[in-house]
Amino acid sequence: MEEIKGAIALIGYGLAAIGPGIGIGIVVGNAIQAMARQPEAATVARTTMFLGIAFTEALALIGFVLFFIA
Amino acid sequence: MILASEECDTAKEIICAPSNVVELFEYKDAVFSIGPLDFTRTVILIFLAMFIVVGALYFAFRKPKIVPGKFGVVMESLVSFVREDVAKGTIGPEGSKYAPYLLAMFLFILVGNLFELTPFINFPLTSRMAIPLMLSVFTYLIFVGVGFSKNGMSYLWGIIWPKSVPVGLRWLVGLIEFVSYFLLRPITLAVRLFANLVAGHLMLTLLLGSGWLFFASVGDIGPRALIGLPWFAFGLLIFVFEFVVAVLQAYIFTLLSAVYIQTSVHPEH
Repeated sequence: MEEIKGAIALIGYGLAAIGPGIGIGIVVGNAIQAMARQPEAATVARTTMFLGIAFTEALALIGFVLFFIA
Repeated sequence: MILASEECDTAKEIICAPSNVVELFEYKDAVFSIGPLDFTRTVILIFLAMFIVVGALYFAFRKPKIVPGKFGVVMESLVSFVREDVAKGTIGPEGSKYAPYLLAMFLFILVGNLFELTPFINFPLTSRMAIPLMLSVFTYLIFVGVGFSKNGMSYLWGIIWPKSVPVGLRWLVGLIEFVSYFLLRPITLAVRLFANLVAGHLMLTLLLGSGWLFFASVGDIGPRALIGLPWFAFGLLIFVFEFVVAVLQAYIFTLLSAVYIQTSVHPEH
């Protein structure tokens, strides 16, 4: 069998993207549910959704940066 | 990235790190120098972004009118968005005190991000680690300073010895809170902006560049140059997506700065 080549940091980035992927799904899904249930509170829900995405996304982005500096 | 990957031996290595990665974190040779000051491409773009922001604000509000022109309407809506929605909406009534800082931050990051999509510049200012790091250090100094000046030492004790948590767990929650307040907040604030823009820049370079590479080598490979077409189309799709990302990241940076300041102004909440 051929020797597997490549950077193991790539796998690390892939693993780092799993959690935030699930997390952003949950955040956006629940934000959409909140907006659909209470359209008058959509502005607040949207702002909070962006905040939640930003916090969750940070983990994937740290993985992305580590891929470069590893 | 494409130019860099030409340097590596594709027969041996599938993936090779681009040789210019260091450039993301360190500064490279200057275009020109005045005395001890080196002017790199990034520094020139910082000044360009500064002049664009200051000039836009100056021309929009030089002669305030009751009914502003088209440009005035755009700038006024941006200013009122940052002041009313971000500053007052997040921090509360005293948020208008921080509105000038947040507005300067928002416009500078917005212009810096949009350099990514500007033809002939094609370089996001915020994709050099020094710049988002410096911006987040400003936010850090402001929210720590505001926390201490508004609440004195009880700001620090409120973080490392939270009263709302059972006594046995206070040291653990306090430790986590301390690390998250004073270490993770500025780092993630900077890394979020930096990594988003680097990722977008890389995607655009890869897709549009590889499309161009195929088209340019039409003499050598003949009709197979059409492979470049889907790459190019996908690149244009990402181009539109990157516009959204550029605006959204400027907004998120400003919003998070406001949220961090808010937690220092009203630490109980």
